[in-house]
Amino acid sequence: MTSLRLLAAGTLLAGTSLAGAASAATVCFSFVDLESQFWVAGHQAITEALTEAGHTIIERNANEDANRQLEQVRDCLAQNVDGIILIPQDGETATTIVAEAQEADTPIAVFNRPPSDLSKGIIVVADNATIAGKAVDDVIGKAIAAKPEGKLNAIIVVGDLGDPNAVGRKEGFYASIEKHKDRFNVTEVASNWDAATALSNLEAAVTANPQVDLLFTSSDFLWPTIRSVFEPRGLWKKTGEDGHVWMAGLDGDATACQLIKEGFVDATGVQDLGFEADQSLKAILAAIDAGEAQPNQVIPDPGFALTTEELPTREMDMWGCVLLSQGFLKNKS
Amino acid sequence: MTNLSPAGLTPRPDLRPSASGGHLGRRLRALVLSDYFVLYLSLACFLILVPFLPTLSTPGNLTNLMSNMWPLLVVAVGQTFVLTIAGIDLSQGAVMGLTSVAAATLTATTAPASVLDTAPIWGSLLTEQGGLLAGNPWATPIAIAVMLALAVAIGLFNGLAVAKLAMPPFMVTLVTMIAVGAFAIWLTQSNNIRELPESFVALGKGDIVSVWFGPKLEAQLPRKQIYPFVTWPMVIALATAVIAHLMLNRTVFGRWVFAIGINRKAAEISGVPVVRVIVAVFVISAVCAAIASILYTGRLETGRPTLGGGNFLLDVIGATVIGGTSLFGGKAKILWTFFGVLFWVLLSNALNLMNLSAFHVDMVKGVVILLAALLDVTRTRLARAAT
Repeated sequence: MTSLRLLAAGTLLAGTSLAGAASAATVCFSFVDLESQFWVAGHQAITEALTEAGHTIIERNANEDANRQLEQVRDCLAQNVDGIILIPQDGETATTIVAEAQEADTPIAVFNRPPSDLSKGIIVVADNATIAGKAVDDVIGKAIAAKPEGKLNAIIVVGDLGDPNAVGRKEGFYASIEKHKDRFNVTEVASNWDAATALSNLEAAVTANPQVDLLFTSSDFLWPTIRSVFEPRGLWKKTGEDGHVWMAGLDGDATACQLIKEGFVDATGVQDLGFEADQSLKAILAAIDAGEAQPNQVIPDPGFALTTEELPTREMDMWGCVLLSQGFLKNKS
Repeated sequence: MTNLSPAGLTPRPDLRPSASGGHLGRRLRALVLSDYFVLYLSLACFLILVPFLPTLSTPGNLTNLMSNMWPLLVVAVGQTFVLTIAGIDLSQGAVMGLTSVAAATLTATTAPASVLDTAPIWGSLLTEQGGLLAGNPWATPIAIAVMLALAVAIGLFNGLAVAKLAMPPFMVTLVTMIAVGAFAIWLTQSNNIRELPESFVALGKGDIVSVWFGPKLEAQLPRKQIYPFVTWPMVIALATAVIAHLMLNRTVFGRWVFAIGINRKAAEISGVPVVRVIVAVFVISAVCAAIASILYTGRLETGRPTLGGGNFLLDVIGATVIGGTSLFGGKAKILWTFFGVLFWVLLSNALNLMNLSAFHVDMVKGVVILLAALLDVTRTRLARAAT
């Protein structure tokens, strides 16, 4: 498992040259959990790249506790680290911690989960609304083509709306639905980025209305949960089979890649994990090298959507497919 | 009753008859039974660890230690009262979450519709223009009053259920924890409320006196070198602890609390107003949680429904028990809780500086609580042998 992750991290950051980007620096890497494949791969990519470039890394896992994360970052500041890379618990925590770091004249980069205030710190963030919109547009088109008349029932599994990523994905979904609003009834299912919450809320939604035509999940890590609800109800069908629900997600993890290949999922929005990790590291090390204490910069990750049709040509652009090709899911099971 | 030691069963070592055994054994026994044992333990740990973790003694880290200590102390003080009557209050974290949301709902200066428009409070209590008291100069004091009133109501419920209905405190406060916690999350649909007024944030992180060390070589000192020394959280926490100490160890009410913890039946027969005291104890616990919520909400600059969730209770009960407060009731001092919190925060800080993962940190903390419980048993045996 470890060797696979190392290989994956190496692949994700292939071509990144951090050696010499800054003299040996001590970087604090604060994160809140390693629950989803995205965070595991991101964590591995960042730690491996920093270590290989000769930098010292201090890791802090707050275990999904915002107060603990603040205390841990303060501990890092007390150790006079040269810079901080932060994956915050939520946008509000990020804003508080970025202000704390800048107050202590320590450069900070926020990886993927942006602060509610984008004006402070180095912020590397996916354009969630656009990426979600691309994936949802694809499945809406397919759903309407399959059922040209009458109303369609759509479900969106919403993330924790304290996380701007979840807000962006929800906005992207509704922007696409808005184009065909006379065709869709939408049910929102809250997940709070928690599989157990998603399970109970999705079960309730599907029990209340068993007719589902389209589903969008705000994160690919929820696919196993969705499958466990859909399969016993006869909703987990491959494309072309009777009763297939048109489904799209976002993240681009190995499970999504596998499900697209098998025909259960039709599209997923892909965050460019390698790009995001690479940009975070380059920006923080450049700030350290330049002696810049309060760098402020937003680095957008344009991302893309991978559909069933594009899979043969773009498979290896998706980080989850890279992991899958290296046996990630086989090893997990 | 009048002969009851303020700390329950534990007699002061200097008044205790000399026990059998050698000089070293007596010294060791006196040390273990001393009120200051956990303080000595903390100092010993600090001195042993400093050569290996030099950062531990830096001004910046000591500032962090203190900053982390004050809110936890306030919650632990409330838990001390409940443990003294042989109870437990699992609902403190939920009280913190609900009061945090209440304060933010009242005082927020703005709120994003994109995040909060699905919340039940949206449109009535909270809008894009902020909370009900946005811009009101009395917003912070009124919000604090509401937080305390909510805490009193929850404490009353807990206390009455335990005292009047004779329900186990564990069960009552477990139910309150689940129900109140879920209510707080429902109010905001699990979202946080930011943009609190400066006057509220200052209560959680505002400095009163700041210091710097070394020569002043530049007109403008680097901010890194200025450390908060006396802060609002420190003042609030110490004031709470002193008031609690006086109540528990210097008043008739405190003696009643100990009497109930040692033997509730005997206390009833002796004329102690057991129901009123138990209710008061749960109210005190909830109020302390609300005060801590002010400090945590201020330092995080956010009203959070999940404040006090996760492993927070582990920290509160761990710190209180390590201080020497007995889980079986009848034995407690606020001073012990103070030392327990100091040790707990020092332990967390040192484990962080060792670069251990969150999982290892929690495992070590669990072992330390177990050792503290064993130490409690040992101290009780030694005290009984000595008396």
